[in-house]
Amino acid sequence: MTPSLDSYVMLSAALFAIGFLGVLVRRNTLVIYMCLELMLVAATLALVAFSRFNGTEDGDVFVFFILTVAAAEVAVGLAIIVALFRARQTVQVESLDSLRH
Amino acid sequence: MTPLQTALYVLLAPLASAALITLFLCRRGAAASAVSVAAAALVAYGALALAFGGDRFTASWEWLRFGSFAIAIGFNYDDLAALMLSIVGVVGLCVHVFSLGYMRDDAAKARYFGGLSIFMFSMIGIVLADNLFMMFIFWELVGFSSYFLINHWRERTSASDAAKKAFIVNRVGDFGFLLGIILCYWANGTVSLAALGADHASSHAVYSRLIPLLLFCGAVGKSAQLPLQVWLPDAMEGPTPVSALIHAATMVAAGIYMLCRINVLMVPEAQTVIAWVGTLTALYAALCAVTQRDIKKVLAYSTLSQLGYMVAAFGLGSVGAAMFHLTTHAFFKALLFLGAGSVIVGCHHEQDIFMMGGLRRRMPVTFWTFTIAVAAIVGLPGLAGFFSKDAILVLAFENNRAVFAALAFTAILTAFYMLRLWKIVFLGASRADSARDAHEGGISLTAPLVLLAVLSAVGGYWRAYPRAFGGVFSQIPEALGATHAIVLATSLVVLLVGAGTALAFYSTDGSDSLERKSPAVFGFLVALRTSFDAAYDYYVARIQQRAAMILNFVDIVGLAGVVVRGLAGVAENIGFGVRALHTGRLSNYVYWFLGGVVVLWAYAAGVL
Repeated sequence: MTPSLDSYVMLSAALFAIGFLGVLVRRNTLVIYMCLELMLVAATLALVAFSRFNGTEDGDVFVFFILTVAAAEVAVGLAIIVALFRARQTVQVESLDSLRH
Repeated sequence: MTPLQTALYVLLAPLASAALITLFLCRRGAAASAVSVAAAALVAYGALALAFGGDRFTASWEWLRFGSFAIAIGFNYDDLAALMLSIVGVVGLCVHVFSLGYMRDDAAKARYFGGLSIFMFSMIGIVLADNLFMMFIFWELVGFSSYFLINHWRERTSASDAAKKAFIVNRVGDFGFLLGIILCYWANGTVSLAALGADHASSHAVYSRLIPLLLFCGAVGKSAQLPLQVWLPDAMEGPTPVSALIHAATMVAAGIYMLCRINVLMVPEAQTVIAWVGTLTALYAALCAVTQRDIKKVLAYSTLSQLGYMVAAFGLGSVGAAMFHLTTHAFFKALLFLGAGSVIVGCHHEQDIFMMGGLRRRMPVTFWTFTIAVAAIVGLPGLAGFFSKDAILVLAFENNRAVFAALAFTAILTAFYMLRLWKIVFLGASRADSARDAHEGGISLTAPLVLLAVLSAVGGYWRAYPRAFGGVFSQIPEALGATHAIVLATSLVVLLVGAGTALAFYSTDGSDSLERKSPAVFGFLVALRTSFDAAYDYYVARIQQRAAMILNFVDIVGLAGVVVRGLAGVAENIGFGVRALHTGRLSNYVYWFLGGVVVLWAYAAGVL
């Protein structure tokens, strides 16, 4: 028995919600970043599922691009976080408020 | 050098001196005083050379033009200007030289001499002005210089208050003056003195009465006539040479000079008002002088009183008598003030006459020159004041007996308070240590006294003056026959009564005999003196201040609050709201982002 499209979409929605809530409530930049990645993965999963159930290749092509871009984005994002930690000795978002005033 | 060039140099020398001192010599008192005295000497020389050179000229240049309206600056150098310029030059030089000694140890000597120079410039500008606008400009400049010099010892609250008072009270008078000038321009189409003299008759009757009275307001302020006389006694907070130059001899006399300048505009109704203002001022100030303890304030009230004489003489229709008294008064009053300055220096800056006494032997030069000045002001026959005061009394006797009676009574008071001052300061025993070791000052203090004493002694023989001032002195009224006898007898009687009473009444024991023997009269005179200040205080504090508070409320709540703050308030509230969004917290921005997405979806779905 193969899972239905609904299960895939619901899993994707759940992953997205977890990622989104994580971005909202977590205070550590690294964790927020991981949650962002989770949302990206949720979208990717939904695209793959649609592609599979529609029998077309459109979604798969999207996913390839997304994975490529995400790899580059992770490299840049992690580099920024490392640089931020070197500069400020913290990655907690509460203390990153020097743009406030 | 043409006379015009000389006049230009006379006008500009003090300005150059003031500029030099202000720009380069602020911290070099000795150099500044030398520059200033040199400028004053140049002015004195130039003024006398011009006067005796005999040339009389007018010159005018356009200065500013606004469409059809032009302001000219120019010189109108006639006999009247020649006389006034000579007085300013001679008295100015004496005061400058005296200041060398008086201000020798002053910390801000450069500022003081710069102020004197700028005053000389302004005063000469008034004297030479050929139109009312130019006169007004320099009129304001002397007001500024007066403020500046009264305020010389600015660390004293009383001095800065007095300076502000002088400035503000003068502004009240000057406002009338300015209105008069504008009205004069409107009615006559010109403010040039020469053109006004040529075609005055055409103007309307109402204007012809209103214009001289409004212009007279300027003289009321500057010459400290009732009811604006309150600033002059307070102005004594300034250094004594300043009091001699500005508040006795020249600036306060500028009001009289200005009246003589606009003589062509006068009408009988205005002159009656002017005569009575002058008479009342003379009488009022003489009454006030009787109770003063401060040597300079006695002289200040005396100046007010004598200015009242001049204004009355002008009001009675004689430019000659007014200017004659102005001339002699400039000499003997400058001498009195400089003498007082010498006494003050000698007594280590003690100004209370009851703390002096016995200075006759300790300061002989000051004593004798002061005595000559006192004799001149009370009208001792043969000295300057006798002739000029008699000319005014003759005029009053012939034109208005009530004024004559008031002026004669004032003359009694004059003799009374001057002899009181003289006796208490110079006779008897010294009553304080400061007076006991008083001594004569240096040559720069005594030389001006001697020069002015000579002028006070001989200044009344106007026929002995060179013909240079004939245009003014030929207008001095002369008494003939019975009038002459009556006036002469009157002036001698008032002199004897006033002087004799004072000499007999006052003792040199260090207390005010009038206060001791007749407290009621003394109290009345003090109340009379303070009544104006009290009335103005009441007016300013109770009426004007409350009106100002109401207007301020309207301004702040109504205009600034509703109209102006209304717009600003909207902008500020928007700014306040937007600023609240800018928290600097990443998670908050995510919420705003979420909100934005929700709104966008709602819009896309057609909900909004």
